[in-house]
Amino acid sequence: MKAEFWVFLGLAIFFAPVALVYWLMSRDPTGTTALTLTFFLVLMIGGYVFIMQRNLPKRPEDRKDGEIADGAGELGFFPPQSLAPLLCAATAAVVVLAPVFGWWLLLIGFGLGAAALASWIFQYYIGDHAH
Amino acid sequence: MTTATRTADVPVTTTTRRPVGQVIWKVLTTTDHKVIGNLYFGTALTFFAIGGIMALMIRAELAFPGMQFMHYETFNQLFTMHGTIMLLLFATPLFAGFANAIMPLQIGAPDVAFPRLNMLAYWLYLFGGLITVSGFFTPGGAASFGWFGYAPLSDKVNSPGIGGDLWIMGLYLAGLGTILGAVNFITTILCHRAPGMTMFRMPIFTWNILITSILALIVFPILAAALLLLEADRALGAHIFDAANGGPLLWQHLFWFFGHPEVYIIALPFFGIITEILPVFSRKPLFGYVSLVFATLSIAALSIAVWAHHMYVTGAVNLPFFAFMTMLIAIPTGVKFFNWVGTMWRGSVSMSTPMLWSIGFLTTFLFGGLTGVILASPPLDFQISDTYFVVAHFHYVVFGTVVFAMFAGFYFWWPKFTGRMLNETWGKVHFWLLFVGFHTTFLVQHWLGVEGMPRRYADYLEGDGFTLLNQVSTVGAFILGASFIPFVWNVWITRKSPKVTSDDPWGWGRSMEWATSCPPPRHNFEKLPRVRSESPAFDLHHPEVAREEYLALHAGDDDHSGAGDAGDDEGRGELLADNVAQAKADVGDTDATTEEDKA
Amino acid sequence: MGLDKIRTVLRSPRRLGLAVATVAAVALVAGCSPERTAQWGRLGLPEAASDRAEPMGHLWVNTWIAALAVGVLVWGLIIWAIVRYRKRGEGVPRQTRYNLPMEIMYTAVPFVIISVLFYWTVRVQNEVLDDTKNPDLVVNVVGEKWSWIFNYEGAAREVGEDVHDIGTMEQIPSLYLPVGETVTFNVSSPDVIHSFWVPAFYFKRDLLPGQPTSFQLTPTKEGVFAGKCAELCGTYHSAMIFEVHVVSSEEFEAHLKQLKADGQTGQLMGHGDQHRISGLDKKEDGE
Repeated sequence: MKAEFWVFLGLAIFFAPVALVYWLMSRDPTGTTALTLTFFLVLMIGGYVFIMQRNLPKRPEDRKDGEIADGAGELGFFPPQSLAPLLCAATAAVVVLAPVFGWWLLLIGFGLGAAALASWIFQYYIGDHAH
Repeated sequence: MTTATRTADVPVTTTTRRPVGQVIWKVLTTTDHKVIGNLYFGTALTFFAIGGIMALMIRAELAFPGMQFMHYETFNQLFTMHGTIMLLLFATPLFAGFANAIMPLQIGAPDVAFPRLNMLAYWLYLFGGLITVSGFFTPGGAASFGWFGYAPLSDKVNSPGIGGDLWIMGLYLAGLGTILGAVNFITTILCHRAPGMTMFRMPIFTWNILITSILALIVFPILAAALLLLEADRALGAHIFDAANGGPLLWQHLFWFFGHPEVYIIALPFFGIITEILPVFSRKPLFGYVSLVFATLSIAALSIAVWAHHMYVTGAVNLPFFAFMTMLIAIPTGVKFFNWVGTMWRGSVSMSTPMLWSIGFLTTFLFGGLTGVILASPPLDFQISDTYFVVAHFHYVVFGTVVFAMFAGFYFWWPKFTGRMLNETWGKVHFWLLFVGFHTTFLVQHWLGVEGMPRRYADYLEGDGFTLLNQVSTVGAFILGASFIPFVWNVWITRKSPKVTSDDPWGWGRSMEWATSCPPPRHNFEKLPRVRSESPAFDLHHPEVAREEYLALHAGDDDHSGAGDAGDDEGRGELLADNVAQAKADVGDTDATTEEDKA
Repeated sequence: MGLDKIRTVLRSPRRLGLAVATVAAVALVAGCSPERTAQWGRLGLPEAASDRAEPMGHLWVNTWIAALAVGVLVWGLIIWAIVRYRKRGEGVPRQTRYNLPMEIMYTAVPFVIISVLFYWTVRVQNEVLDDTKNPDLVVNVVGEKWSWIFNYEGAAREVGEDVHDIGTMEQIPSLYLPVGETVTFNVSSPDVIHSFWVPAFYFKRDLLPGQPTSFQLTPTKEGVFAGKCAELCGTYHSAMIFEVHVVSSEEFEAHLKQLKADGQTGQLMGHGDQHRISGLDKKEDGE
């Protein structure tokens, strides 16, 4: 996973001096903050990938001689269908409308949200696809 | 059925017609990246049509001095929503659409990493978009403070209407969708590639989706935060963007820290589409693979450090820093251009519709790039900033990229989306109408801007001398609008054309999506090819050609280490030898069969 | 120039037809008139009317020459590639993947080009933004929705005290400037962001509320020039225009005296507050 973390760390290496030079040239706190936070964001992702890959065996997709058979087997869990995303998005839509039309909308949002989250989390504990 | 497994043989499922209600339910609850991709396409194109109609209304109003059809306020609402829709509700989701529809296929993944999150991102976009445009149905009308919502014009005093609140919260919601989409794409690319698909064997389109997603991850949270702060000012009486606190400049910094990378978020995926098309129709591998990857990364990195070139005329930003960083972007962009030309160079170029659109992109975007370098120079920007020159510039850049490359991608991947080809003749009619309409509309606007016509003007004086060029522009805009008719017609007439039976109808497809059926099955691949280069489908279908290339590339290079500016291709020689042998054996088999038949 | 903007032009279909019919003729005539020809030479720029415009005009033309040279080269390569290497038969072209010397060349050459452009940019920019000269006149420009106030600092002029001129949307204001004299502009806004733009000066500057800025220039050519607000400032943004009259020193003094005679003395900082404050530095106190 070398290239993976280098993409992020490379960006971090770019942003560190840029943030510094920008501060020295402009003394603009807004842009400097944004650049610094950007640096930490890419550093965080790159660092995470770096630490993870040290504990992982080389994956088939990292090996230049990876064979399709090496990756055979279960790839992960892919839900065939779900109503939860629609419910969650509807909740979010109601909530963001609260500052526009009135905070009482939050009540509806919380109610809907409870149902939506329950549906998202427990979808695979009940019904056809229960584990 | 809930877990995807990679096996050699999966039985082909046959589809039968189902009642409408069932189909709707299926779409509402789908988690299939291909279906979600289609939802993105459909929704984005609908918004594109709405934004386009607004553009025509704007152009109609500007054809003559004086106000003919609308009030000033309506005009302001129209260009505000036109910009908002085109940037954030058309182009950005279109990136998610193409990423969904193509990227998992290119890396040999059965789906994206988080299918439900994927669907959530789409719904957030749809609801956010609807909330944003719903301002038109409120008493005060939609937001009218321009798509970059400069404070203090966007505060409660100067823009009291509810349309402004809907604009802010709608974009916040849609932006949330974009962030979640970006997380999903990054995870998918990092964790769901097929065996042997190392990073430097990924198609450039996938690389660009990765880099675009990183950009989105960096800047969309800043937009979201700024929007919420603005709404806090409006709804809660906060004073964050008050003039007394330096708020106007703060908003500009925050907005453009998002806004400039946003331009690259909607450009890079479309550069990727072009990069996929050129090799296929030039019958050559991509020229300079590694340098293209690094050029794209450099563009992305630089794009985050150039935001204040939108603020030169405030007199309150550091000019040399931003001028230099902005001009630096010309270098990786130039590298891309020369790599594209290098891909066609000494090739065997066939001008099928995807290629025609790609050439349209190259020629159009080039001019936008050149005017971009001009705009990067502050003393020149002092004259042309906030004029029609800028309007012309960014339409060359953004329309040139997004729309030309979108149609290139549609004509190219239509068989992957639908299993059918679009009509070539109508595709060419479509292209030429759009090409002529586009350049008629926007070329003259450069001149208008330099002469003195500011952007966002509902009106101008007869004595200004802007009338003629505005009329040329308006005529062009209506030609441009009319060019969508042949496209819709094309989609309509080909809806029942014969199904594509081959995996690769264009014949010279290189990346993995051309190694599965049109359209692909539910989890994309029945059998994955072995990946030893960035062109697995090509290695599979044209091993002899690839072998010649491979041998020439590695002549006198026994350990295969000096691959220079090409992607990873260790072990490609063996793969190609195997594939050639296999192909010969297949031919032998068929020969043998025919012999037997004869006998 | 009256404000006949609200007047509907598209009144009769005949007029529309006439307009369409004259397009070709106008294009021909316009293309040949001497002013138009000169404008072609300036690549669209209006005739320069200030000392700062000259270096910007040169930079503009030279940058375009460089840009179009690059453009013509690359367009040429693209067109050459699709014409010369058009598919002829089923032969397989050589599968070239890269050419390192070539790639290094096309990375390095653009760097040289932008370095040159950057060098000239900084030079011209320093020249244009130089405001260290001792000004002959200070004008405090205030933009407010949707017109302009021009405050002339008059202590050092014949008129002897500050005078102002204020416009409305119906009555376009006029900014008078003496030809050949260095003018410092202090620009500010009491409401939203506006932008002070005189195309003939090749210069614009945003009016940021709460953050006044200034710049300097010397008008070099007598005449009447258009001025505009270039930053979206609300509903009637496009009506926020003004005229710049660059006149002789005598006419200028006469104009200031006329303003004084009309009772327009003192400075207005906008937004209906009728406090007359002399001196921009005290402006903050006015709030």
